[in-house]
Amino acid sequence: MARPSRCWSVALLLSASFVRAQTLDQAEALWKARRYQEANEVFKVLVAAQPKNALYRVRWGRMYLEHWQPDIAQGLFDEALAIQPNDAAAILGKALCAAADFRGDADELARKALNLDPKLLEAQELLARLALEDDDTAKAAEEAHKALTLDANSTQGKAILATIDWLADKKDSRWDPHAARGYETAGHFFMLNRRYEESVAFYRKAIELDPRLDTARSQLGLNLMRLGQNDEAYRQLKTCWDNGFQDNATKNSLVLMDSYKNYITYKTGRTVLKLHKKEAELLHPYFESEMLRDIADYEKKYRFKLDTPVQVEVYPDHEDFAVRTLGMPGLGALGVTFDYSIAMDSPSGRPPGSFHWASTLRHEMSHVFTLSMTNSHVPRWFTEGMAVHEETAASAEWGDRLGPDELVAIKNHRLLPVAELDRGFVHPVSPAQVVISYYQAGKICDYINEKWGWDTLLAMLRDFGAGEDTPTVIHRELKIEPGEFDKLFFAKVEAETKRTADNLAEWKLAVPALAKFAVAKDYDRVIKEGQHWEDIYPDYVEGGNVYELVAGAYRAKGDTADEIGQLERYVHAGGRNPETIKLLAKDLVGLGKKNEAAAVLDRLNFIYPMDNDLHLQLGELWFDERNAAGAVREFRALVAHSPIDPAQAHFDLARAYNLNHQPEQAKSELVDALETAPGFRPAQRLLLELSK
Amino acid sequence: MKLLALFVAAAMVAPAATWYLTISGLGGEPDYDQRFKMWAQDIDKSLRKAGDANVTTLIAPTREQIRARFQELANTVKPDDALVVMLIGHGTFDGVDYKFNIPGPDITGAELAALLDRVPAVRQCVVNMTSASGGSIEILRRPNRVVITATKSGTEKNATVFARYWAEALREPAADQDKNEAISVLEAFHYAETKVTDFFQTQQRLATEHALLEDTGKGEGERAPSPENGEGKLASAFTVVRLGANADAARDPAKRLLLEKKDELEQAIDKLKYEKAALPEQEYKKQLTTLLLDLARTQEALDSGTSK
Repeated sequence: MARPSRCWSVALLLSASFVRAQTLDQAEALWKARRYQEANEVFKVLVAAQPKNALYRVRWGRMYLEHWQPDIAQGLFDEALAIQPNDAAAILGKALCAAADFRGDADELARKALNLDPKLLEAQELLARLALEDDDTAKAAEEAHKALTLDANSTQGKAILATIDWLADKKDSRWDPHAARGYETAGHFFMLNRRYEESVAFYRKAIELDPRLDTARSQLGLNLMRLGQNDEAYRQLKTCWDNGFQDNATKNSLVLMDSYKNYITYKTGRTVLKLHKKEAELLHPYFESEMLRDIADYEKKYRFKLDTPVQVEVYPDHEDFAVRTLGMPGLGALGVTFDYSIAMDSPSGRPPGSFHWASTLRHEMSHVFTLSMTNSHVPRWFTEGMAVHEETAASAEWGDRLGPDELVAIKNHRLLPVAELDRGFVHPVSPAQVVISYYQAGKICDYINEKWGWDTLLAMLRDFGAGEDTPTVIHRELKIEPGEFDKLFFAKVEAETKRTADNLAEWKLAVPALAKFAVAKDYDRVIKEGQHWEDIYPDYVEGGNVYELVAGAYRAKGDTADEIGQLERYVHAGGRNPETIKLLAKDLVGLGKKNEAAAVLDRLNFIYPMDNDLHLQLGELWFDERNAAGAVREFRALVAHSPIDPAQAHFDLARAYNLNHQPEQAKSELVDALETAPGFRPAQRLLLELSK
Repeated sequence: MKLLALFVAAAMVAPAATWYLTISGLGGEPDYDQRFKMWAQDIDKSLRKAGDANVTTLIAPTREQIRARFQELANTVKPDDALVVMLIGHGTFDGVDYKFNIPGPDITGAELAALLDRVPAVRQCVVNMTSASGGSIEILRRPNRVVITATKSGTEKNATVFARYWAEALREPAADQDKNEAISVLEAFHYAETKVTDFFQTQQRLATEHALLEDTGKGEGERAPSPENGEGKLASAFTVVRLGANADAARDPAKRLLLEKKDELEQAIDKLKYEKAALPEQEYKKQLTTLLLDLARTQEALDSGTSK
């Protein structure tokens, strides 16, 4: 539907005779009959005729909200509030928009609406829903009971209370709403709790009762897709589309599923890997070996055997990946796990150096274990905390670094109490709060591992799996109250970051100054002052970091040994700029340290394996160092990724196969090399040698 | 492949010279001045290293200096010779005229075309690597002349990086795809075009240049020259730089039989490759392997000086 303001002139022309014939009831009736376009025309005329009528705009906004256009709805609610600042219905409309977007101000807006109109049932129901989204069961129950006080038949009030029972595995709830919208609400909460099978079951019940409830049918389709049941998912979403329900999630999911023909599936007994055909051959060995390694490590560490292969889908187009997370709150933008199925960005979809795919995979694989072990009863903060913990446990260079947002949050005491940490993921007050919450959750798990031990973390997982909540689990396993835990944790993290946090403002000024010294070729000053600021904030390895500035100064002075030392510190601190890492490798090769250079370059396979120059250099290094398997892997990657010199790439792979005692594969590659360049003499010579 | 072999054979009969003229234009700011000069010098170095004496490189010349050099070429170059002109810098296109930015008055596409026409070399190659160079195709194209532009039209106005990778192609063995120790214009174009595409993909930036090649004298230029679109035939037979002494063996009469056999085998391989789609994969590979082994043995005999 088009935004109304553009159509004023048309509407005004119609006004004199038409307005008398149009009423709000007619608009509502058309809306209810899902004749949205016609209803929209009536609303246009009504608003043109009575521009100061806030009610028309509120109702019109509600229709837009239902018609999956919350941005336009929000504008209409704002216009209504400009006319009538204390219009409770308009404020409720804004609260519903905020809730649809999982924004942190939804609760405040709903409360404001309820204060203005204490009998506004929808606002009360929304408060119950928001509390349960924050995993605050007690508050959700209290708000739901208030809704039932306002209206004993409140479907949503009953649905929230019933959902609380169902989430706690109480099969029969006396609050069962026996209504399609009520089951849709339950489906929503099971999805939020990553219990997709049960979510699907509730959405099925919803559409059984009301086959035209397309919001539920669309969610059913999305959740089936998350579970990898693509055939039925497609059918359900197509039905929505044909019914005229064409929101972004439905549309984009159908488009995505249409594109699945472009994906190649690789299977082992334990893994299913789906890669886009344009990069499948290149990425397959790297992803599959990491998946198998992660599963083996975690099965040992978590003492838990997976009974189903883990599926990983890798999307080169971030928008395709984003479709897989539509309608879900506070998700990291790199990967997402649905039971045994993981969807993630491809390294090709991100700027080189900005994305450590193996770390993301390690993170998501951890979710597979924590969710499976607890039957998805683990709170969001704990599964994310374990996943973040696992990234740096795999390698100190992996995982995210301590960022300025986290430092400010720590210094200003804005970390959330552990018992409320889920709120930081589900209803963040700002985008930064999601990132901060990931950091905090990871640090909490690090802290518990360090102070109470790994077995305590496993015991906590078991408790969550048994349905216990965070305060109970903290009390039982750590032998302290959550409040006491918060005090200990905050004190520790504040002490660890104090020096950086206290000097952050000066550091922010000092680093650009260092860059200016470098431009002015005052290299001694860059080195002297750079080392000080590097110590102040060692975790900062992003663009414009001190490590690279100081290394550049050493390089300009011709001091290769110190340059190498500096670049090694950068890499160990988590620096991921591919060009800088390649520079370090080049310096090491210059000193004859080929093995060390190869180890440095091998890191890039986990960061940006789309770089042919990397595979060529690393293949050559490993070939020279007689690492035949490594050379085969790298030259295979080169051959798979449209090399600029295909004949040479096939020849190099042939040499590596020959070194690895695989003469038939070597000959096959030589034929491929010579097919491109029949007169390529080194390839001819090796082919003759192998054919004797 | 075969076209190239025929060209090498023709060159044996009447060895001809290749004349190179590289011009780097006005940068407008020190960074660009330095960059353009560096790329031009890079090209100069590669050409001289390959042993070609007919190399001229002009850094930020005036129009008069350019005219003077073309006049020298017009007086010296023979029809059998080849001419390669490479332009690096900024260019503009106002919808009608292309201009190459140089100190003083710019030089127009029409004037460049007239200067090129005066040089007797039948085979010519113009590599216009400036911004908006796509606007010069129409005025520069001519039968027997390869025209390469860094941009697909005159409206791609951003400073280009094509010259960086063209310069790299002239010294990089990886550009020599068929491993005949000579880089053809087509191979250099493929190399530079691929590298430019990689550059923008790696930087996650929208590509602001799309190189074209035109060598029919009447086309609009193609990003991927191929037999299907009719572009690239002349460029594939036009050697821009030699990387080794690949013609030595061809001059030895004692090896004529072997050379004839080699030629027959190369033709058989080309024929088989054309039939690839019609053959089962295993059968194709089996036949190809037999031919390649035979070719390798023939080459071995040629290298060792014995006939088999």
